[in-house]
Amino acid sequence: MKKIMKHPYSQFILLGLVLLTLPYLAEAGAIRNSTVTVIGTTIIYTIAALGLNVLLGFSGLISLGTAGFMGLAAYISAYVTETMALPFELAVLAAIVIPTLLGILVGILSLKFEGIYLGIATLVVAEIFREIFINVTSFTGGATGALAGRPELFGTFRLDRIQTYYLIVVVMVLIFILIHNLTKGHLGRALNAMRGSEAAAQAMGVNIFKYRLIAFGIATVLASVSGVLYVHYVGLSYPTTWNLMLSLDFLAIIVVGGFRSIFGTFIGSFIIFAMSELFLKPIPALANITPLVKGILIIIFILYYPNGLANIKHQVSHWLARRKGKRDAFGQTKTEKKNLTRAEVRENDTV
Amino acid sequence: MTPSKTKELALKIEDVSIAFGGLKAVDDLSFAIERHEIFGLIGPNGAGKTTIFNCITQFYKADSGRIHFVNAKGKETNLMDLNVHEIIDEGIVRTFQNVELIRELSIMDNVLIGAHHVMKQPLLGQLFNRKAIRQDEADSREKAEKILAFLDIAHLKDLIAGSQPYGVQKKVEIARTLMSDPELIILDEPAAGLNDTETKELALRIKQIRETYQTTILLVEHDMRLVMDICDHICAISFGKRIAVGTPKEIQSNPEVQKAYLGEEGELE
Ligand SMILES: Nc1ncnc2c1ncn2[C@@H]1O[C@H](COP(=O)(O)OP(=O)(O)O)[C@@H](O)[C@H]1O
Ligand SMILES: [Mg+2]
Repeated sequence: MKKIMKHPYSQFILLGLVLLTLPYLAEAGAIRNSTVTVIGTTIIYTIAALGLNVLLGFSGLISLGTAGFMGLAAYISAYVTETMALPFELAVLAAIVIPTLLGILVGILSLKFEGIYLGIATLVVAEIFREIFINVTSFTGGATGALAGRPELFGTFRLDRIQTYYLIVVVMVLIFILIHNLTKGHLGRALNAMRGSEAAAQAMGVNIFKYRLIAFGIATVLASVSGVLYVHYVGLSYPTTWNLMLSLDFLAIIVVGGFRSIFGTFIGSFIIFAMSELFLKPIPALANITPLVKGILIIIFILYYPNGLANIKHQVSHWLARRKGKRDAFGQTKTEKKNLTRAEVRENDTV
Repeated sequence: MTPSKTKELALKIEDVSIAFGGLKAVDDLSFAIERHEIFGLIGPNGAGKTTIFNCITQFYKADSGRIHFVNAKGKETNLMDLNVHEIIDEGIVRTFQNVELIRELSIMDNVLIGAHHVMKQPLLGQLFNRKAIRQDEADSREKAEKILAFLDIAHLKDLIAGSQPYGVQKKVEIARTLMSDPELIILDEPAAGLNDTETKELALRIKQIRETYQTTILLVEHDMRLVMDICDHICAISFGKRIAVGTPKEIQSNPEVQKAYLGEEGELE
């Protein structure tokens, strides 16, 4: 049993099950309905942030365009289902394929622009998208926004708010499992190598061009899935939503949650998004300092916890082990030392 | 180069030149390496040794000249036609003068990267973690463990590469090359930063690698004792130009080589 629970799949599924209980808790009056909505949105943001984590955490490629791609997918899905009145499944397909192709094009850009210049290039792309969101009103509804209904599966089952929430949780668990599969082995190593030492990666046969495109492809697929879920859960899409602030939030999520950590991305998303929605914004005095709190969090994590929250539990266990060791007269220094380095290894788990 | 009858050619460098700005880092350099030999490239700092390695492995494109590799099956390839990441497919793998590891990864994962080009893992198969993929991973891990055991660092496999002492990191880099089923291993200063004991072990290992893994080895090294001890042939260069090629004995007694090394740390003894 313990072994089964150690398997990442089980942990992802367990997290999913816990999240599935929230609507019942709301019905029972234990939590507010709005809390469920906030958590649903948090999960949606987690998915896009996980894409950015594959890009930045694994591959070392920066993007400030996540929100732009997410928005593009949201508008496409809204347009295909509402204006064109085509099936939801078709909308999902279009809303993933089109942004992803564009995302892969940006991947080609990444061969020309390195580091901060890539950040700026992706930002420019996202700003172009935003101009389209504002100005091409026949497609986006302009400043009034685009409306979208809840998902209608196979043209028959129209999901309600809570069922859509369930769908979001299921999609999250599936994505966690698939991304875990992709990053724990061959592809993950190639992306890590590309980030850690481009020279070594190339000498070992990693085609930088190919893997940059794959990294951008994965990031945009996840941003697109996130955008689709968003528009059909929230019900509308405004141009102002898809701005640089949101892209920076995704960055903050990774910094706080932990590079290359799937659970960390979820935790980071919870802290950056849900905490402020649930605890800061309801209190008028604190509502305005939300960006400040985020900023301080980012600074604290970059300076003191560069591996993010995902790894703090290891640091806590180090600390406990060390305290225990001090009390031992014969100090199990050796096993302790071993534990320490083992724990360091775990810092790189993608779980 | 001393002619020998039964030996076949593995790598042929002909009239290779490359310049950076006005500086000719490699100047009309030629030498040839036989299959299964240990070939040393020596020369003072800045002589162009790393640069010629970079030309062979296509990190740099030589301005002129020819670089041909003949694999074990006798197929001849013009390396200059290849991209940098295609070199390993020919069976040529290298280490770096300043160890290039993925610091945050475990030693095991670093070594596994060496098998990148051998592993045929389609993206969809990985996505769904199919049986063939799991098998491939398990096989590669087993192979990596054997290599790590051969280098006496199997017990460290789960530790973070970046936090290991330099000597271990250098071994990890060598382990990574072995993981790729190499025919030609190119080592850039493998003994730099190692102490005496470690250097002695390295000499032994390099000879063992040649036998166990049936490879040709090309190395740059400043430790003259190591070079003279393990190399079959040596090429000495200075300012990108070849000054002598021959057996360790011939190189040691060559007046040109002595002159180039005068006042150098790695003086010939
Ligand atoms: N990418 C480069 N750009 C400019 N100069 C270079 C480059 N690579 C090597 N050089 C120059 O070429 C010369 C040979 O360098 P190198 O091959 O590293 O010498 P070494 O024999 O010590 O390995 C040096 O003068 C070095 O500064
Ligand atoms: Mg050098």
